[in-house]
Amino acid sequence: MRPEIGYVRPDTLDEALDFLQGHAGETAVVAGGTDVMVDLRSGTLKTRCLLDVSRLSELKGIALTGDELRVGAGVTVSEIYASQTLARFAPALRRSAFTFASKQIRNVATIGGNVAHCSPCGDTVPPLIIHEAKVALRSSKGERIIPVDELPTGPYVGSIGSDEIITHFLLKPRESMFADFQKIGRRRELAIARISIAVMAEKDAAGKIAFIRLALGSSTPTPRRMTAVEGLLLGKRPSAALFWEAGRVLASKMIEITGRRPSTVYKENAVQGLLVRLLYPMVENGKTL
Amino acid sequence: MKEFQTHIPIRFTLNGSQVAVEVEAGETALDTIRERLRLKGTKQGCGIGECGACTIVVDGMAVNACLMLGAQLDGKEVRTVEGLTATVDLTALQQAFLDHHAVQCGFCTPGILMSAQALFDENPKPTHADIVKAISGNLCRCTGYGHIVAAIEDAANRLAGGVG
Repeated sequence: MRPEIGYVRPDTLDEALDFLQGHAGETAVVAGGTDVMVDLRSGTLKTRCLLDVSRLSELKGIALTGDELRVGAGVTVSEIYASQTLARFAPALRRSAFTFASKQIRNVATIGGNVAHCSPCGDTVPPLIIHEAKVALRSSKGERIIPVDELPTGPYVGSIGSDEIITHFLLKPRESMFADFQKIGRRRELAIARISIAVMAEKDAAGKIAFIRLALGSSTPTPRRMTAVEGLLLGKRPSAALFWEAGRVLASKMIEITGRRPSTVYKENAVQGLLVRLLYPMVENGKTL
Repeated sequence: MKEFQTHIPIRFTLNGSQVAVEVEAGETALDTIRERLRLKGTKQGCGIGECGACTIVVDGMAVNACLMLGAQLDGKEVRTVEGLTATVDLTALQQAFLDHHAVQCGFCTPGILMSAQALFDENPKPTHADIVKAISGNLCRCTGYGHIVAAIEDAANRLAGGVG
């Protein structure tokens, strides 16, 4: 039988932070619950208390202010997909929301929860990384802001303090001519990504790549930006040969981090194929492989 | 400051009626509905959000009841398969499932009906692709989905035509 646990639903963020302060180390934060409930059921998560932040208005909202795009941690994946602001200024993030789990999960799962879970395969993380997103964390002592790729320290572990809540993300908005997120899973829907890539890029008047941001998910212990691949592509004219070369660099960077694991036989090739499939529309606009 | 509770009194609207019930902190919304409120139409399949058999509609949105806390139902508008129709008559959606033989073992049916209902509430004229996307969080191991998609498409057409 499950040990008896407690539940609390504060009305304000300050109340939530006070509660966390008083019960640090024995409290799990619940927003959409789609990861917490699974871990609670399996016994992976042992906690004294569940702190429900799903109705805190302070964690809601998507807003463009000046040169920053603020996305509340409590914004659901469905809300990301429905946002016209994100469609325009963070299209790869919106794209990741389209293929995220299932409708039932998208309706409640939050971007804050996806990041806080520190899964190597969180679908919203590579798109956040290419927008050089920062995470705002609050505790009753104050706020700190860190780059999103520095939050996870390994698979399912991160640097979130036991008295902290993610309140929002700050992205660099960018209307790119080309942006996408794709993943490879074992099935088409409700698939946990085995490899995912987010990219946004622009070409100059001469047709050369003038701007590119690229991040790899699910393939390394924590998702990360791939600056070596960006550097190779920058200033060059898109071609299939160039993208295959970029794929080889991406695969070698991945293996540099992970070493040769049993899955490398598959992933070394698949990551190259995914990158080429993702970037290929830049060669001939509108056509896909 | 609020303190935590191990037993939480909640009130919500279930299929149009106000209900008040006390739930345990770690209890799923699925257990609240099935075990406390004795509505057995909503099924438990996998218990981890993979199969969609427990799909209910909360504030107009399809959700997995197994991934929600019972306590989170507080103040919400909840619809289960029992709430699709208040009478013995079937809705156009339910009738279409009969007409198209979209039910075999029936275990996935309540969840798929609720996913389809949430789709209709959001988008009264869904395309074939919209329908496939909307029910892709619901597993069916019998039908191969063809009859189910045909039934939902037919229901959408009947509803758009003002019938049912």
